[in-house]
Amino acid sequence: MSEKLYAFLLRLFPSRFRQSYGEDALQLFRDRARDETGLPSRFRLWLDLLADLAISVPREYFYAQPELLAAPTDHAPGSPSFYVLNQGAPRPGALVFGFVLSVSALFTFSGLLNQGGQHRALRSSASPRQSFSSRSATGAVHPSPQAADDSSFSVSGETSQETNDSASAPASRRGATCCAPSRQDSLVPNASAVATSSSPLPTIPAAGSTLTDSLSPQPNSPVPLASASTQIPASERHSVITAAIDNLKRYYPNPALAERMSDSLLAHESKGDDNATTDGTAFAALLTRQMRQISNDKHLDLAYSATPLPDEAGQPTPQELASYRDFLLHNNCTFEKVELLPGNIGYLKLNSFPELSVCEQTAISAMHRLNHASVLIFDLRDNCGGEPETVAFLASYLFDHPEYFYNPRENTTQNSWTHSPVSGNLLADKPVYILTSSHTFSGAEQFCYDLKMLKRATLVGEATGGATHAGVFHRLDDHFGIGIPEARPINPYAAADWAETGVVPTVQVPAADALAAATKLARARLKQK
Amino acid sequence: MPKRKLDPLPSAAFQILLALAGEDLHGYGIMRQVAEQTEGRMRLGPGTLYSSIQTLLEAKLIEELEPREDAALGTERRRYYRLTAAGRKLARAEADRLADLLRVARAKKILRGEYV
Repeated sequence: MSEKLYAFLLRLFPSRFRQSYGEDALQLFRDRARDETGLPSRFRLWLDLLADLAISVPREYFYAQPELLAAPTDHAPGSPSFYVLNQGAPRPGALVFGFVLSVSALFTFSGLLNQGGQHRALRSSASPRQSFSSRSATGAVHPSPQAADDSSFSVSGETSQETNDSASAPASRRGATCCAPSRQDSLVPNASAVATSSSPLPTIPAAGSTLTDSLSPQPNSPVPLASASTQIPASERHSVITAAIDNLKRYYPNPALAERMSDSLLAHESKGDDNATTDGTAFAALLTRQMRQISNDKHLDLAYSATPLPDEAGQPTPQELASYRDFLLHNNCTFEKVELLPGNIGYLKLNSFPELSVCEQTAISAMHRLNHASVLIFDLRDNCGGEPETVAFLASYLFDHPEYFYNPRENTTQNSWTHSPVSGNLLADKPVYILTSSHTFSGAEQFCYDLKMLKRATLVGEATGGATHAGVFHRLDDHFGIGIPEARPINPYAAADWAETGVVPTVQVPAADALAAATKLARARLKQK
Repeated sequence: MPKRKLDPLPSAAFQILLALAGEDLHGYGIMRQVAEQTEGRMRLGPGTLYSSIQTLLEAKLIEELEPREDAALGTERRRYYRLTAAGRKLARAEADRLADLLRVARAKKILRGEYV
C-alpha cells in the first residue's frame, strides 16, 4: 500500500528523471521500508521522503535537461543549431507578461473568428443603385444554390409587355441563345425555372432576357416594367415587413444581424418612412436599402413581382426539364461559335454554362478543337450564367494544377476546385482573353471574377451585370420575395465579389468593340514572343 | 536554465563521494553508508540521492557498473557505482579545503585541541 503511494508520488518528478531512476527510487523505498520497521521508524521514513520530494522535485524541474546543454558541443559545423545562450531562469515578471500576452492573444483571435463572418473590411460600401429597382421591376428573384432547398429556382414574373418585347427582339440580341428556353416557355405562366432536383448546384437562371435586362446594373439600361408595378395598400406593406422579418430571423446566418435588421425595418415603419412609397418596386427597393444599411450585405435582396409568384417554388416539371435539355441539344449546348481566327487565335463564344450531364461531350470537343491555339478568347458577352460545375470544368483547361474557384453561392466543397490538369490539354499556359458586357451574368461573372483574381485572364469589354444569385429565394406573398444568402464561403481575395458592382474588365471598351480589341491585344502579345 | 553545479560541492555530493571511497555501492548502500558516516544526521531521500548521483555521473566523478545482486538484500539486480580517479581527486581537494578551514578555526580558538 505505502509503496503504491510512493510510486504515485514519484510521478511528480519529470519524466526523464523517472525513466532513469524511478525504479531505483522505488527499490530504495522498499529497502528502507523493509529495514526500518516500527511506528517511529516508519514515521521518520515518510518524513524523510516528503522532505526529499519537497526539495528535489522543484530542483529537477529547475535544472535543464543535460542533453540540451550538451547539444552545442556535439554540433556539426555548418549545420543550423540552437544554443542556450541565457543560463539564468526567466524573471517572474517576464513569465507574468508572457502569460498575459498569451491569454489576450487567445481572446483576440477567438473574438475575431466569431466576428469574421461579416468581412466588413473586405467589402466595398454598399451603394444603393438604380439597378436594384430595375431588377425588381420584373420580379426576377433568384434562386438558391442550396440544393436541398426546394426553392432553388430562378423565378421570374414576366409581364405580357415584356414577353412581347423579347419575342420581337432580334435573334442576335443579348441573351438570345442561352435564354431561349424561357422565351419559348414564356407562354407557360411562371415557368422560367429550370433545375434538377438531385443536383446540389445552382440552376440556370433561365429567366432569359427578362432576367438579363432586369438585372442590369447599368444606369442607362431599360427599366422595362416600371409602369407595370401596381400600387400596394398599407396593409400589404405591413404584412410584407412582418414576413420579411420572419424569414430573416429564420434563415439569415447571423442571428444578431437579423435581429438588428428586423428592428431597423420596424423602426422605419413606425416612423412612417415607408408611407410615401406605394409603388411595389420602389417599396421593395426601400426595404432592401433599409436592410443593407444595417448588414451591408449585397447578397440580400427583397424584390417585387408584378405578376403573382408561383405558390411554392417547386421542382421543375418533367416537361420543363425536357424542354431545357431539348433546347441545349438543339443549340450545341450554347457553344455558339468554336473556331480558330487568323493568327491561331482560338475563339469560343459561349452563351451559358450548361448542365454538364447533358453537355459534357460538347464542352470536351469544343476545348479539344481549340487545343492547339496560341491564344484563347472566351466570348461571354451574351452569357447569362449557369452551372458552377461547368464553370470549373471549363476553367480546368486553363491550369496545370487544381485551382480554387470561389463561388459566393456555395460553401466550399471538392467541386470548388478545377479538375486540372486535363489529360492531353495544351492550353494551361496559353494567354486568355475574356470578352464581357453588361449582360454577362451570374456563372459567367464567376468565370470572369475568378480568372481575373487568379491573374489567368485579361478581361476586355464592359463591367459585368453584377448578379451573384447568392440568395435562397423565399416567397413573402403573391408579389414579394426575399433572397437570403445562406452559404457564406470565404472569399480568398481581398476584394468584394461582383455583387451589384459586376466584374470590371482590365481593358474597358464598349462590348461591341471587345472582340476587335482583344484580337489586337492577342496578336500584339503573340508578336512579342 | 542552469546546469547543475558542483562548485561549490554540495554536501550531499561530497558525502556520496566519501561513501564510495571505501567500496563500490548501490543506491541504498550509499544511503546507509552516508547515514553511518554522519551518525544518522544525513539520510538521503531517493530524489536527492539519485539527482546527486546523476550529476556526479555527468561530471564523470563516479561511474556506473554493471547491475548485480546484493546477496544481503535479495535477488533484485542493482546498479552499483564506483569512484573515478577524478572523483577521488575532487574529494581529496574538498577534504583539504575543509582541513584548511579547520586549521583556521583552530587558530582562532573556535575549535578545541583534539579535533583533527
